[in-house]
Amino acid sequence: MTHFTRGRLARFGLVGVAAAGLLLTGCSTVGSTSDAGSTGAADDGTFTVGFAVGGQPDADWQDLQGDVAEGLAKQRGWDFVELSNDNSEATATKNADIFIQKGVDVVMMFNGQPSANPVIAKKYEAAGIPVVTFDIAQPGWYFVGVDNAAAGTDGGTRLGELAKEKWDCKVDLVISAEGTAAGQINTWRTGNARDAVKETCPDIPEGNYVSYEADGNLTTSLANAPGIFAAHPDAKNILVVGLNDQAVVGALQAATQLGRDGSIMGWGQDGGLITGPNVDPNLVGSVMYFLEGYPAGAFEIADEIAAGNAPAVKDTGDDAAVSVQPCAVTADEAAEIPSIDQRVSELADAPKGTTEYDLYCKS
Amino acid sequence: MTATATPPATLFDDPVLPAHRRILNSFRGPVGSISATLVVTLLVGLVWVGPSFFSPSNIQIVGVSVAIPLIVGVMASFALLAGVVDLSIGSMVGFGAVIFNQLVAAGLDPWLVALITVVVGVVVGLTNAFVIVRFGAEPLAVTLGMLTLLRGLSQVIVVSAPPSTLIEPLYNVTQGAIAGFPTLLLIGIGVTLIAAGIVSKTRVGRKVQAVGGDDRAASRAGISVPKVRVIALVVSSVGAAIGGILYVGQLGSASNVLGTGLEFQIYAALMIGGYSITRGGVGNPIGALLGLLVVAGITNILNVTFTDPNYLDLITALILLAAVLVDRFRGGDSFE
Repeated sequence: MTHFTRGRLARFGLVGVAAAGLLLTGCSTVGSTSDAGSTGAADDGTFTVGFAVGGQPDADWQDLQGDVAEGLAKQRGWDFVELSNDNSEATATKNADIFIQKGVDVVMMFNGQPSANPVIAKKYEAAGIPVVTFDIAQPGWYFVGVDNAAAGTDGGTRLGELAKEKWDCKVDLVISAEGTAAGQINTWRTGNARDAVKETCPDIPEGNYVSYEADGNLTTSLANAPGIFAAHPDAKNILVVGLNDQAVVGALQAATQLGRDGSIMGWGQDGGLITGPNVDPNLVGSVMYFLEGYPAGAFEIADEIAAGNAPAVKDTGDDAAVSVQPCAVTADEAAEIPSIDQRVSELADAPKGTTEYDLYCKS
Repeated sequence: MTATATPPATLFDDPVLPAHRRILNSFRGPVGSISATLVVTLLVGLVWVGPSFFSPSNIQIVGVSVAIPLIVGVMASFALLAGVVDLSIGSMVGFGAVIFNQLVAAGLDPWLVALITVVVGVVVGLTNAFVIVRFGAEPLAVTLGMLTLLRGLSQVIVVSAPPSTLIEPLYNVTQGAIAGFPTLLLIGIGVTLIAAGIVSKTRVGRKVQAVGGDDRAASRAGISVPKVRVIALVVSSVGAAIGGILYVGQLGSASNVLGTGLEFQIYAALMIGGYSITRGGVGNPIGALLGLLVVAGITNILNVTFTDPNYLDLITALILLAAVLVDRFRGGDSFE
């Protein structure tokens, strides 16, 4: 049995009291707001851009956004600091504290896990730091994104035209590779593409349109698509639209694995998989957003902030601060566009205000 | 208690040593080496980052990031001590957060929802314990299954953008500070001290260590091994559920990937702090605190100097390997 001496009991009691004190002190702050997070800022006077890359797996364009932004900051003689949100809302929140501590003048970011954005927005608002967000809108932040509704319609129209040209609109199945978590963006991209196919080929029966959850990534799409093909064993001429290239290519690869790729065409969104050496032969086109080039739009806003003329905040997809122009291209046209690394390098060297649409799509 | 059920006195009693010997002895153990590592980390931070490394805002950043893993880790360490690793803590943090967030968003009272979330933690812990203790299943396999199950449930519940539930009082606790010191870290340190007291100063703690160190010997000494392990697994799950609630306070929401990989982050820090995931009975919550502070300190140095974060995993792995080697050189199985 344990024999407590008076000294041991006293020490044990002391530790217990200290621990309880700490607990009670901690709990007693309920209702009080701290200002500790806003102290210790280190601003040396140079305009500083804080850039948070998304850190999602299989998305090289997110790191490349950081490279483009660094090049553009260097062009302007600005300081540039970069962190990765690591596809984690906790890390994104911590990064906000670090940028605030650093005393950056503007933050640019793509946050792939935006559920913490309201808390992050609260921190930046308290610190008076403007934020430019890519692709996912947040009230109070400048929104830079593609016109998703137009992008969906463009892609669906081009795919419908190809179906008319090749199959005289005799289509047995129109597959929508949905990404429902993206909400309105999915409706604009996937839904509008489907509607545009209907408009171009109005005689396709309603029952030939089917959807499945692809979650915006190739792995999930590839796992879920076979069920669709199994449920429609007689479908020959097949079209695929979806939230992004990964979702569409997942369906196309599933068709290849099942031997159902004899007569299938997919049209993607975002252009992530339409350039480079390994383009799926059935991905006949995509709508390129030049995702890696979004910082070019963000720097238009930063230029005005640096000049002391911060523009009015436009923070919705319908009314974006900078609307990125979608660029619908066939696979053949995409083959003429330089690789993503070359595009990043050319954009960093291009005159101020140049976008990748200007460089690769206008012609 | 009968005479036969009373454990031998030598199992629980420390020989009384002079103060200077006790201090020296404490530095021979894992807590000593991790303390030295922490001092080195702080010195590196001071030299590399400068005095701002110890600024209130930076202490706040480190404190806020380390506090929840600390609370979860300290509670999970009871399972490690009892010789049953609980791999499901990261998913339980996420699942607890998802439940709390969704129910609060649905309009239920946050206190009631917090209670429900803790009860869910109890149920998960009992489920793990039932399979492990009742059927003698391997804890690694069972809790790995629970990890997958809870992650799947989170994904089933959160199928689109999760609702935002900024609960101001909880936000103030999780993001606030008292006199420049993070409130949540104070709470975490309080929990750690209480846990350390339980482990090293009470019969309950020593029973847990005895069960983890040698369950047959503990059983012969009259300790109910199943009971200790059931309680330890429940404590572990409840700690993770509380961690989930705190994350919702800190982040204002909960996605279906919250807590992914957190178990590895926590167990790496616990191992650095002197615990073993394959060998029960060793470790002290103070070591867990120091291990987490070392990893958080290194992370912060890399963050505030805007160094490529990919180096973090490399450095953490090297420290972990060093900790394991130091443990082996020290004679890691000596307790047994």
